[in-house]
Amino acid sequence: MTGEPRVRSLDDPSIMVDSPATIIDAVPPYPPRTEREAEFYSLKDGEMFVNLGPQHPSTHGVLRVVIKIDGEQVVDLDPVLGYLHRGVEKICENGDWHHAISNCDPLEYIASMFSEAMPVLVAEKLLDLEVPRRADYIRVLAWELNRISSHALFIGWLALDLGGITPILYGFIERDEIVEMLAALTGQKLLFNYLRIGGVNGDLNHEFLSRLGDWMSRAGKRIEESSKLMNENEIFVGRTRGLGVLTREAALRTCVTGPPLRATGIPYDVRRAHPYSVYPELEFDIPTRTEGDSYARYLLHLDEIRESIRIIDQVLHQMPDGPVMAKLPRLLRVPPGRAWVAFESPRGQYGAYGISDGSDQPFRFRIHDPSYFTLQAVGQLVPGHLVADTMAIMASLDPIMGGIDK
Amino acid sequence: MGSGPTVGSDRPSLLASDASPVPERIPVTDIALQRRLTERFSTQLLTAVSARHDTTEIIVGPGELVSVMSALHDDAEFRFELLADLAGVDTGVVLQVVYHLWSPLSPDWLRVICDGLPRDDPRLPSVTFLWNGAEWAEREAYDMFGLIFEGNRDLRRIYMPPDYQSFPLRKDFLMPDDASRSPGQGVRPIEVAFQTAESGRVPLMRVSPGTGSLAGWTRPGEVGAGDPDSGGQVGP
Repeated sequence: MTGEPRVRSLDDPSIMVDSPATIIDAVPPYPPRTEREAEFYSLKDGEMFVNLGPQHPSTHGVLRVVIKIDGEQVVDLDPVLGYLHRGVEKICENGDWHHAISNCDPLEYIASMFSEAMPVLVAEKLLDLEVPRRADYIRVLAWELNRISSHALFIGWLALDLGGITPILYGFIERDEIVEMLAALTGQKLLFNYLRIGGVNGDLNHEFLSRLGDWMSRAGKRIEESSKLMNENEIFVGRTRGLGVLTREAALRTCVTGPPLRATGIPYDVRRAHPYSVYPELEFDIPTRTEGDSYARYLLHLDEIRESIRIIDQVLHQMPDGPVMAKLPRLLRVPPGRAWVAFESPRGQYGAYGISDGSDQPFRFRIHDPSYFTLQAVGQLVPGHLVADTMAIMASLDPIMGGIDK
Repeated sequence: MGSGPTVGSDRPSLLASDASPVPERIPVTDIALQRRLTERFSTQLLTAVSARHDTTEIIVGPGELVSVMSALHDDAEFRFELLADLAGVDTGVVLQVVYHLWSPLSPDWLRVICDGLPRDDPRLPSVTFLWNGAEWAEREAYDMFGLIFEGNRDLRRIYMPPDYQSFPLRKDFLMPDDASRSPGQGVRPIEVAFQTAESGRVPLMRVSPGTGSLAGWTRPGEVGAGDPDSGGQVGP
């Protein structure tokens, strides 16, 4: 210890200037590492930087976006990631396969029934494991319910980012009913930790079914109601139609999947393009739009909610009897091998690549998050638009930072 | 299927087996794709085309990557238009980059493994000229494994701070505590008491793939000292 006091008074104005925690410069305090960084962080005449985030209400997590503007127009932008990075892939390598389920839960924190499926599906593929059919149906039921709740929130958020407060209240009412339902099923409202290698944790129970039956009688009604507020609202349409247009070629080249890809007219949905679980036995369509703009992405989410309700209806009618867990040893040693699985989350194609060396832990567990690639498209869509449209375009792409930062 | 997509509809429908209410799940591998790959790239592949589950796999060296990936992307007989994933892998000996591709012409995923990248200077060409979306995926692989993708315009760290030196997902990245011990060995990492540096215990490190729970686990500088049950004890 030197004579320096360890805690300085918060009244000390020098803290406000010195501390990197209080002030983040848009321009990084180190020399550029790549040509692209050098090009971005040099200003032409009349240009300036605006620092969006990391704590900005419209960033859907903790994201910082440095925007280069010329007047009101965005010239270029540079998303700065890593604020939520916790090294999930490394954590998964250092726990056993069962631990990976709960570690992957917080990635897609709006729809964690999907992100927790990654280690489950990879391990089942490596084990060549047959999941009981009832468990498969329950999974699809939980996934589609979660998809609706996630889409309901997307619609609310999009309107909120454009300045409309009402739709998110409707969205939250819809989401709350589903979340309560899933809480009755799983015991958790946000991070469900419900899927298991070989099945699911617990059969359907009475409270879940009674809530579900109650909800099915008015499923999606509130979303339809709030969509009446938005679909022909002059301000909403004016701020979304024709904005952030993603072309088919650009979407494929940027590896974008999910609603932003389908809004360009490409009917790529992993549930049909590479079927998994019991989706081949269910009847549903893959809605597409051709415009590729923010408004098309919004309408596509509405269509997908309707299709999910169709799926839930069939699942409830076709639900077979039987066990919900395959018989497995508690200490699960997964045979050596490599396996890749992909499945459709509300934000696009979730993927996982697992390598097992025959022990109880993954040797390598790669997580592919769709939002990571969707956020990358923001850099192509926003330049040329106004600063205020940055938020509208980002919200319409629906990225979730938990999965992006891993 | 209604007015669903036409892509992938050549997959055999699981509904077709009327005999049993439980559809038989036969792992589908695309024999035609394997034959096309073997004919087209026979001299460029390091090993024969293999397939397991619903994934066909080819292994190439970094020198052949550009021509193989371009052909897979552009040729009318392949049309692997969608890059589903790009992942770095540390086998403990060499580094790899693993690509997963999707094509409307095949029911299989295609896995392309770029193998044999040396640890001290792992260089390979970037695929951003085919998919500019690979830019961030390659930045991530650079950040986590130190893989250098030649041709990526913006290869800088994406998660870790700019002054960070290590590559966290490499197998020789030492964890600062004993959290890397396998819970399968009977000791939960959270239950291991705090150990000072003076106690001389170095965390277990996983250096190579093997079989069995303890294979591939060593402590640097110690041979055969891995007694898993003494984990909770501190001191001499």
